[in-house]
Amino acid sequence: MKELNRDTYLIALSHIQDVSTKTVNGILKEFGSEAGAYANFFELTADEMLSKHNIPIEEAVKIAEFKSQLPNFAFLNDNLVNQGFTMVAASDSNYPANLINNLGYDRTPSILYLKGDIEIFKEQCIAIVGSRDANEDDLNYTALLSKKATQEFKVVVSGFAKGVDKKALDSALELNGKSILVLPQGILTFKSGINEYYKKILSGDVLILSTFYPTAPWLVKLAMARNAYIYGLAGEIYIPKTNDSGGTWAGATSGIKKGRKVYVRYLDGKLPANLKLIELGAIPLDEEGDEIKGFVRGGKVNPKKKKNIKPPYEEGNLFEN
Amino acid sequence: MNFSFNREVEEKRLKDIFGFSKFYDTQWDVISKVMSNKRILLIEKTGFGKSLCYQYPATCLPGLTIVISPLIALMRDQKKFLDKYIIPAATINSGQTPEENKEIIDKATRGEIKILYIAPERQGNTTWLENILNFNISFVVIDEAHCISTWGHDFRPYYRRIINLIDRFPANFPVLATTATATKRVQKDIEEQIGSSFSTIRGNLLRNNLYLNVLKVESEEEKFLWLAENISKLDGSGIIYTGTRANSELFSRWLNFHGVNTAFYNATLESEERIEIENGFMDNKFKCVVSTNALGMGIDKPDIRFIIHTQITQSPVHYYQEIGRAGRDGKPAKIILLYNPSKDSDLPLSFIESAKPDTNKYYKVIEALREERHTFTTLIKKVDLKQTVFRVIIADLIDMGIVVETIENKSKKYEIKFNAPGLNFDMHLKLKEAKLLEFGEMLFYANTQSCRMNFLCNYLGDNSADDCLICDNDLKIFEKVPANDSLAEKLSYFKENYFPEIIVESSGSNIVNGVAADFYGFSNTGQIIHKAKYENHAEFPETILFRLIAAFDSKFDVNEIDIVTVIPPTISGDIVANLAKQFSEKLGLKFSRDLVKTRVTQPQKVFQTNYNKNENIKNAFEFLNPGQILGKTVLLIDDVFDSGVTIKEAGRVLTRCGAAKIIPLTIAKTVTGVD
Repeated sequence: MKELNRDTYLIALSHIQDVSTKTVNGILKEFGSEAGAYANFFELTADEMLSKHNIPIEEAVKIAEFKSQLPNFAFLNDNLVNQGFTMVAASDSNYPANLINNLGYDRTPSILYLKGDIEIFKEQCIAIVGSRDANEDDLNYTALLSKKATQEFKVVVSGFAKGVDKKALDSALELNGKSILVLPQGILTFKSGINEYYKKILSGDVLILSTFYPTAPWLVKLAMARNAYIYGLAGEIYIPKTNDSGGTWAGATSGIKKGRKVYVRYLDGKLPANLKLIELGAIPLDEEGDEIKGFVRGGKVNPKKKKNIKPPYEEGNLFEN
Repeated sequence: MNFSFNREVEEKRLKDIFGFSKFYDTQWDVISKVMSNKRILLIEKTGFGKSLCYQYPATCLPGLTIVISPLIALMRDQKKFLDKYIIPAATINSGQTPEENKEIIDKATRGEIKILYIAPERQGNTTWLENILNFNISFVVIDEAHCISTWGHDFRPYYRRIINLIDRFPANFPVLATTATATKRVQKDIEEQIGSSFSTIRGNLLRNNLYLNVLKVESEEEKFLWLAENISKLDGSGIIYTGTRANSELFSRWLNFHGVNTAFYNATLESEERIEIENGFMDNKFKCVVSTNALGMGIDKPDIRFIIHTQITQSPVHYYQEIGRAGRDGKPAKIILLYNPSKDSDLPLSFIESAKPDTNKYYKVIEALREERHTFTTLIKKVDLKQTVFRVIIADLIDMGIVVETIENKSKKYEIKFNAPGLNFDMHLKLKEAKLLEFGEMLFYANTQSCRMNFLCNYLGDNSADDCLICDNDLKIFEKVPANDSLAEKLSYFKENYFPEIIVESSGSNIVNGVAADFYGFSNTGQIIHKAKYENHAEFPETILFRLIAAFDSKFDVNEIDIVTVIPPTISGDIVANLAKQFSEKLGLKFSRDLVKTRVTQPQKVFQTNYNKNENIKNAFEFLNPGQILGKTVLLIDDVFDSGVTIKEAGRVLTRCGAAKIIPLTIAKTVTGVD
């Protein structure tokens, strides 16, 4: 029998209130794509879920209560598939490895809702994100970074926000590059973008991705949460321009803390928030989009040490070499 | 849950709720399986009581039972039935306003409905989708489940998609699929599609009150003669099925000519008119309804006493389904197939041949969708295909996994799926072969000399049936064509004086139903028109004028006409106008050529879809000096009536200019196909 109902269980589990991602991902790891195992699991009482599968009792109670709603999710699952969306679970082999490596298996989204070519995940991905209120110069620099990445056959991950995000996407596509759009909303509520990028989705150059409940509308808190997934999907993070608060900033600082490679435009220290990030440990980029080697804190470049010399990073810098 | 698995206890409850004292064994079997969360395919004959197999569990289960049903009429009948027993049921369908549907959804959300009937297409509706997540669903039923199978004779694309829906239900969720007509092949297909979780329960299909007869005739005329001679002798009321829409009209009028009260019914009728005929039929106002297969599943009349086919069906399944509507009350019903071996294969074979559109039309749709996403309307305009053809193609492309139907702001958009497979027509070839085989079996039915009911039951997979002992072969009593010269004369008189109706009445326009001088293609009128218009550009011969006058006289009175006008030509010059002028002169009527085009239009026949026909002609007419038609009755003449788009548009313009009544009169009416 075709096991189309695995995703019904999966969608339902991923969106039960007050059940943690860790718990859901644990269940996914245990059962994989075995629909029958999920069916048996839902037959259990909360106590049995605790004793047999180690589910914390408060969460087990929620899951057991949710059982009667499962048939509803069959309708949702069916509708998503009929509209050409696909679902990938954290335990599936085609789930993006970057996300698990960067966020940790316990915190990576249990389910991804997608439209487009999921093979893109196998390619090298970089994130280009930044301020919504970017000026022309910021946008030109964004385009430069995006095109550079595209020429190196890297996939540009961005958030489909105004300003830097949108420019990064469009510049990559201009050179027939590939891009992943990470949505700040449920995939069923994203309409205009699918129309705009339809041909690029068809040609396999754009992949639309959402981690949220499919009918969720755009919300600020989802936009904030979404940034972590943009950073998570990418190997490296590029920031043409940031403010010293908001999603880009929050994502970048937390990335730096975790030892991620975060590249920021330096522009002779004229962008205050960018400079702050560099002070916190981001890697400065010159006007060609290349790393400024031998950069020292305080915003000065030591020209003598520019090439082939290990940069004198400050103590406490978490960058890996 | 309120179910004991104790038959006696439940039969007591059955009596309390429905008033029946016992379950049949099969019903009890199905019901107890459903209540044990099993999935069942139930194949049982019409009238068996399949509905109770889900209606009863629905009253026991805590949540909502959703019944997926193909026809609004069926849903309404079931709801009426449940209303009688005060079981809260409702239907959501396209015939109700969105507000009405939303109200029902809200009721279902609040748990105030036990049984909810929906069409499979509802799955594509956003309001439905947004709200279904709040339902408490206990049980899903698929009525007329043969529609799931590609091999089923009523294949509906949305039905096919139900298979996937069912596969997505959690395990241990009960599903019941029911049908009265499933061959072994269809059963196998359904079982394969819906997976091993289903078990099949098959009853016996023998209908021992149907008297099956086949009458072989040597010409179409003999069918007319037999009907005229015999229809009044048959008990009660019944249905005559015809192969084409034109024939439904023609046979009906022929019987009217003999004083038999009939109505004709086909898909060209407006829905109000259809409902009126359906209701009249239910109330025995007609001896019979003469219909294409458009009259069907929705009719639940228990006392249909005869069903006559003037055209052999495409398969024994079609036949069993259509004759199955007779004698639901268990009393005898006469079933007759009028069959002309030398001619009657043409129509079914041409259907089988043209069941699927040309490959290049599929590519046309794919190409258009590769460029951009489209709504139904923008796509059909873009590719300019007939709606029936277009629907088949879109359904096939969705079925093949090439196209998906997305929902955007409450409207649907088609798009190509990423990584879509290539077009593959293997399935079409297989289907065609299967259909040819099925038609062969139907011919076998017509020719067999053994028990006909036994043959049908065997064909449908019920090998347990004995001979019925009441068909013509078992009784050795055969129907005969009457040898009646005066009747034959009457028939040729009838045909000469028969003028097809032009049905164009609609609200918002003062146009009424009119008449055509002939069917295009029935006699040589079609050729004459074609020759005059496109070959020699000569005037129409006088015979056409006389026939036009006769057609007019058959239905209208010259005294009621104030003025005659004519649809202005597209390319064929003045010959129609000249005919109209001659017509007016002969009848002493005022003639006006003031109906003119305000812009150049294309000939309507270059367009396949009515969307484009409408656009071609919309606001293209005006009537000069409208004072002369203000409050008047206008006779509107045209050459060929086909889609009716042009005449209706002209009717709209004349109405706007103040005409009180517009009567259309055309030289010919095209013979549009089968429903």
